[in-house]
Amino acid sequence: MLSSVFFYLFAGICCLAGLMVVSSRNPVHSVLFLILAFFNAAGLFILLNAEFLAMLLVVVYVGAVAVLFLFVVMMLDINYSELREGFQKYRSLGLLIGAVLLVELFATFFEYSGNVKSLPSPGAVHNTKALGQVIYTDYIYLFQLAGLILLVAMIGAIALTLRKRSGVRKQVIADQNSRTRAETVKLAKVETGAGVKEAS
Amino acid sequence: MIEHWLIDLAWMIATILAVVVPLLIAVAYLTLAERRVIGFMQLRKGPNVVGPFGMFQPFADALKLMAKETILPAGADKVVFIIAPMLTFVLALVAWAVIPFDAGLVLADINVGILYLFAISSLGVYGVIMAGWASNSKYAFLGALRSAAQMVSYEVSMGLVIINVLICVGSLNLSDIIEAQRDMWFALPLLPMFIVFFISTLAETNRAPFDLPEGESELVAGYFVEYSSMSFALFFLGEYANMILMSAMTTVLFLGGWLPPFDFAPFTWIPGPIWFVLKIMLCLFVFLWVRATTPRYRYDQLMRLGWKIFLPFSLIYVVLTAGFLMAFDKLPVIGG
Amino acid sequence: MEFSQITISAALPEFILISLALVMVLIAAFAKQTETDGEGSIKLVRTLSLLGYFAAFLALFSVPDGRIVLFNELFAVNDLVIYMKGLILVGAFFASWLVSEQWGEGVDRPEFHLLVLMAVIGMLLMVSANNLISLYMALELQSLPLYVVAAMRTSSLKSSEAGLKYFLLGALSSGLLLYGASLVYGFSGSTNFEAIASSLSGGASVGMIVGMVFLLSGLAFKISAAPFHMWTPDVYEGAPTPVTALFAIVPKVAGMTLLMNVTYSAFGNITDQWMQILIALSVASMIVGATGAIMQQNIKRMLAYSSIAHMGYALAGLAAGTSEGASAVVIYMTTYVFMGAAAFGVIMTMRREGTPVEKISDLAGLSASHPLLAAAMMVVMFSMAGIPPLAGFFGKWYVFLAAVNAGLIPLAVIGVLTSVIGAFYYLRIIRLMYFEDSDAPLDDGASHQNRMILIISVGFILLFFFGIGTLSQEAVSIVSVYF
Repeated sequence: MLSSVFFYLFAGICCLAGLMVVSSRNPVHSVLFLILAFFNAAGLFILLNAEFLAMLLVVVYVGAVAVLFLFVVMMLDINYSELREGFQKYRSLGLLIGAVLLVELFATFFEYSGNVKSLPSPGAVHNTKALGQVIYTDYIYLFQLAGLILLVAMIGAIALTLRKRSGVRKQVIADQNSRTRAETVKLAKVETGAGVKEAS
Repeated sequence: MIEHWLIDLAWMIATILAVVVPLLIAVAYLTLAERRVIGFMQLRKGPNVVGPFGMFQPFADALKLMAKETILPAGADKVVFIIAPMLTFVLALVAWAVIPFDAGLVLADINVGILYLFAISSLGVYGVIMAGWASNSKYAFLGALRSAAQMVSYEVSMGLVIINVLICVGSLNLSDIIEAQRDMWFALPLLPMFIVFFISTLAETNRAPFDLPEGESELVAGYFVEYSSMSFALFFLGEYANMILMSAMTTVLFLGGWLPPFDFAPFTWIPGPIWFVLKIMLCLFVFLWVRATTPRYRYDQLMRLGWKIFLPFSLIYVVLTAGFLMAFDKLPVIGG
Repeated sequence: MEFSQITISAALPEFILISLALVMVLIAAFAKQTETDGEGSIKLVRTLSLLGYFAAFLALFSVPDGRIVLFNELFAVNDLVIYMKGLILVGAFFASWLVSEQWGEGVDRPEFHLLVLMAVIGMLLMVSANNLISLYMALELQSLPLYVVAAMRTSSLKSSEAGLKYFLLGALSSGLLLYGASLVYGFSGSTNFEAIASSLSGGASVGMIVGMVFLLSGLAFKISAAPFHMWTPDVYEGAPTPVTALFAIVPKVAGMTLLMNVTYSAFGNITDQWMQILIALSVASMIVGATGAIMQQNIKRMLAYSSIAHMGYALAGLAAGTSEGASAVVIYMTTYVFMGAAAFGVIMTMRREGTPVEKISDLAGLSASHPLLAAAMMVVMFSMAGIPPLAGFFGKWYVFLAAVNAGLIPLAVIGVLTSVIGAFYYLRIIRLMYFEDSDAPLDDGASHQNRMILIISVGFILLFFFGIGTLSQEAVSIVSVYF
């Protein structure tokens, strides 16, 4: 009983938040609603006894990805009314495609017979351990592949944004630390009223 | 049936209050302690007029803040502006749900406790960003950007440090983590990680020497420059509650939580929660000590420390720890 | 999972390339800091990647015959897959070899070769995919580096536009593919190709077909078949020329093989359904490719449309759904790789006063200034137009024959008609080269590797005639795994 109440609560807020993401006028609000949607999705995971996934969703998507989203959206200076005009132009086409997809979705929904295997029951092993047991054995191939993809993304991001600029003086901490007193400090006796001569 | 349900609810609320109320009092006295400790370190007295030893100073401050007018800046995004401090404060409180004060003495003994803590602490950045953006002010915005970048950067190495501990424990449950330290606190074998973690918590809570986001000299006060009255107080409380939370996390991960330092007679007489609180106080003292003694980092140095030193170092340490445990066949086998 | 002898030998090419890539990451990262301009490290990285392709190609011979399934049935190798992997490696070798260290355009960095290597790894894994999840992951591993290299010339607005366009549309197509994959999974109960095939033994449900349509649309985007071809001309034009060469030569082979794998093994039981989709894609691509190329002024853009048309012809073979059709696709893709290498071997020698030029009109009078180059280009153009007895003719011939034998006579007729239209713009280039004068001739001095590539690939096109008998028998035997 209680779990179904929570299911409808999470699912309902999730859907509403999703709707607000696309319909709210201010893009920052959109991202904030997106975060709300993530949260409720995490709640749904918890109802499925998948607490590890739920926490991961919060840590990765809410804690890191959405922060970057917010960053970008907050920094961008876009005229949203112009964007909206462009949106109006293609609205009829978009609606048509949306309608077609909706019809297809309904068709598949009514046809669905549910021959998917049911969720494996958590049993004695809790789900963090269960995930670990398959990820590093049965699905090691996919795990490594995902690692490669992330590596590529990292290299790509660096390759596209890193530019060598000339005339930039970077702090080299090792150099700073390896300096000795003898080569940098010179004590000079200054006579009163004469000032410092050339610091050669 | 109904009454039974009501009693459950009342009990739940009572236990939550039993955690939250002492916590709030602790926050209040932490602010006093900070001023007194730093005062003594700088050969000053600190606030000592209101009540004996200045004991009522925090309450005087609270009353003063409450009596002030809440100002909503023109052009601010009102809803976000108001939500931001509330979010900061609430997040600092909800994390306490999984902190164990003694064996079995915990609000929610969930399997993924440490992940929950990590998730909640990673959300703290939202309060900052939302406040900075909603204020519609340059200083606040710049402060928020700095702070968010900083928190996200240090979270990565914090995560890796936590993984180090998890490898040694074999469980994500906080009580299990503490029990695993019965023979030896993790602060000893994982000493480098303990240091990395502690420094990361300083950065994560935006404390000195990483308090750039609120650097007075450049940014006036950073992200909460536009806040006043209770909304400011919430940020303030949130920051200090976060400090206590991070200290508790350090205690749980590295200092053996409620366990006494030595497992024999005079030490075992003192109950677990007291040990726990003492250890937290020790960590907090170091927080204050650092603030009183170290100069502020420059921003690029801060980023360099996070990404180019802590991250690779903690990653290498994960490999070392795992390799050591594998080589000596000491991998933990705690069930579940 | 056991790491047995067979695991290692069956996935040896991938193992070699992945370990090489990891070494190259370190070289690219650390060599740069010590040297002033990274000149030495790019040479090293380029040489290493060429050696890697060669070693991986040799390693393909160690892969045991017959069908092998590895890594919890996520990865499969069979004769067709091995052949196509060989073709991909040859194409990648050509594409990397074409780029000299001093090319410029942003590709004179070690990261370029590294990213290309990563993309090639993705293609090899893509060809071997035996599961919807590994399919998607490998596809992403292939696409991500390609998005980056398309935008590699950061100083050029066009290159950035190309990269961004490619990325956005690529992400959209990945979305389509995933949506389709989730529907297929939902209705079959598995992501494994064999399991999907066996769930389809009693015919397909509506949801399954909808899922399949989305899946095939996503894949059609990757091989730039019309109507999912919008990105191709812009990306080909905007990307640095060596990158365009890569795009033109290699990824299409991987995409086509993947399409073959999906249609023949996962959806092998519902041939009638996907046949219609492939026929539509094929007809659209042939028409768009043939008509779109006519008005182009930029040779890279023209070749983009030409590659769309080529995909249309190859899809016609696939649409036949017979063993004959599949083997025709194998032959077609083989000729396609060599024609692409040869075409870009010529284009990348086109320089005027040191800077690369890419207008079709720049080719005017080439026969007078560079007779050999003009002859090579003529061979390539004749081959692409499908003039016997060159390689391109046989590719088309087998494809149309398969289509006719499968009863798809209208498809074959459209194919022949569009070939005729296509011949117009291929011949236009020949006319330009031989019958028009130019006031400013192109620079002399094709690089050594350009000459070698031209000799190899043009030689292949000319002498294909002698090997076609063996190749066609071979092609029939390697596609027999599906029939």
